[in-house]
Amino acid sequence: MKRSGAILLLVLGAILGIVAPALADGAQAGADIHVAQTLGDRDLTVIIRRVAEVPGPVHVDVVTHAGSPPGEITLTARAAGAATSSAKVVLGDKAGFYSGVVRVDRGGPWELAVDEATIPFVVPALVPSPWENATYGGFIAAGVLLFVALLFAVSGRPGLALVPTAGVVAAVAVAATAALLSPSIPPVAAPGTQLDPTFDNVNDPYQRTSTVDFSRPPVNLVPSMRGEDLVLSLTDGSSGRPVDDLLVHDSAFIHLVVVSPAGNLRHLHPIRTAPGEYRARLQAPEQGTHAIAAEIARRGGGVQLLRSSVDVSGVAAKPNDGTAGLVKEIREVGRPSTITADLGKRDLQPWLGMLGHMIVVGPVTDGPVNAPIWAHVHSMIPPTPGLPDQPDESVAAYGPKVPFTYSFPLPGKYLVWIQVERDYSVVTVPTVVEVPVKGVAGK
Amino acid sequence: MKRYVLGALAGVIAITGALVVLWPRTVEAQPHLAESAQLRFVLTPASTKSGVNAFDLRITDREGNPAPGDEVVVEPAMPQMGHAIAPLTAGPLEPGHYRVGDVGLFMAGQWEITVSLSAERVVIPLLLT
Repeated sequence: MKRSGAILLLVLGAILGIVAPALADGAQAGADIHVAQTLGDRDLTVIIRRVAEVPGPVHVDVVTHAGSPPGEITLTARAAGAATSSAKVVLGDKAGFYSGVVRVDRGGPWELAVDEATIPFVVPALVPSPWENATYGGFIAAGVLLFVALLFAVSGRPGLALVPTAGVVAAVAVAATAALLSPSIPPVAAPGTQLDPTFDNVNDPYQRTSTVDFSRPPVNLVPSMRGEDLVLSLTDGSSGRPVDDLLVHDSAFIHLVVVSPAGNLRHLHPIRTAPGEYRARLQAPEQGTHAIAAEIARRGGGVQLLRSSVDVSGVAAKPNDGTAGLVKEIREVGRPSTITADLGKRDLQPWLGMLGHMIVVGPVTDGPVNAPIWAHVHSMIPPTPGLPDQPDESVAAYGPKVPFTYSFPLPGKYLVWIQVERDYSVVTVPTVVEVPVKGVAGK
Repeated sequence: MKRYVLGALAGVIAITGALVVLWPRTVEAQPHLAESAQLRFVLTPASTKSGVNAFDLRITDREGNPAPGDEVVVEPAMPQMGHAIAPLTAGPLEPGHYRVGDVGLFMAGQWEITVSLSAERVVIPLLLT
């Protein structure tokens, strides 16, 4: 009798020992959201840290860059039917990180307003998956049934104990099958990246939809100037309705590249001011027709490049003044050419999640507006094993060599700019590349 | 006694079966074959893990004779990330046999390795884990 009691305790202990550590893995974690924002005269990076619990705090870091005027901004988190939460963040003279905390009280689609800029984001709800439920439920049922079987056995009815014993075998089989097969079950369409997020689908993400193709129609871009601000109007190419489903890709909603008539480049990240309306300030613009190109990604997949041009009235030309040692190995059309920038010191910061960006516009004959090729090449940060999140701008430990590889599709003269970040300031290095039809052009 | 032996045997079979089914497998570095109009390229990577890799290349004509040529060019790219790395060139160790070392394939996923010898080009897919 004593012996059966001891065995019972040992078995129960073993089962609970299996279940307990597994529970800790149940919480699904999202990732930090990095969004670059050209907000008035400031170039900010807004980092919405992963939400650990709901209701709970959302930590928001606002990163200012060199030349950003000091002042105060207001962070506001709002969602339909939820209480609004605000925080004020005082930005200092020094470029760097400034933090604020807002609160969210439910999972679902939220909007973070940074002054007049609005950033839609999804607060994930912690919902256990059906296979997690099967695993934990199976092990718990097995434990309970085992206890019942032992009670029958101890009370002298071994025949009756066979029934719950069979139940133990069945429950363990269910749990083990669910646990073993769970890695190979395809993920459901994610609200926010594939589906339009609603409170219902965020809080019940395991509802399968019949949709298999999530891609959406192309977008029409209409730029215009409103005072100093460049305003972009985005409309759906099939319905004409405003496009309000842009994803954060490469740390921005829109990567807007503006090339002035004199060949000076600006890489801006317009803020969302209304559904389908984005805005960025062009500081001290030049007079003339500017070539613009916007890279966007719609919910459902695929990145699009929208090109256009806009007439700007202004006076001053602000040339790109970055310098770097450049080693160019330009091969013939269609073969990979390499351009390596040497920035001198190993203190580069990730900008938009990358070590460096190279914008290629050409071949230029009568200005950048009519250039047939427009490319955005990345130099990537090698992934660090064990770190799922991208390093933020506080890590100034990359470089000094920034390599790019690009196959120029047409011969001729290209305008090229290389952009990296150092000391919270974006360095833009302009250069010109001549691509031959045959053979290798030297340095 | 006989029953215990049978029981132990059944246990051993069950455990062996479970190990065979559940043992983690690594992808073997297989030779990859691709043919262009004139030539046959066989690329064998040193590893199927991301990181610094090396390629062993055997290039022959359709009859199996070593292909003439003095420089092979290897252009690795990762279409999913929209990213290419600098091309590498190598001279022959012996006719038709090349070795391209120090290939920095730092990211796991599907790579496309373009290999060219004079005017012949092939694209070889390579999955890294």
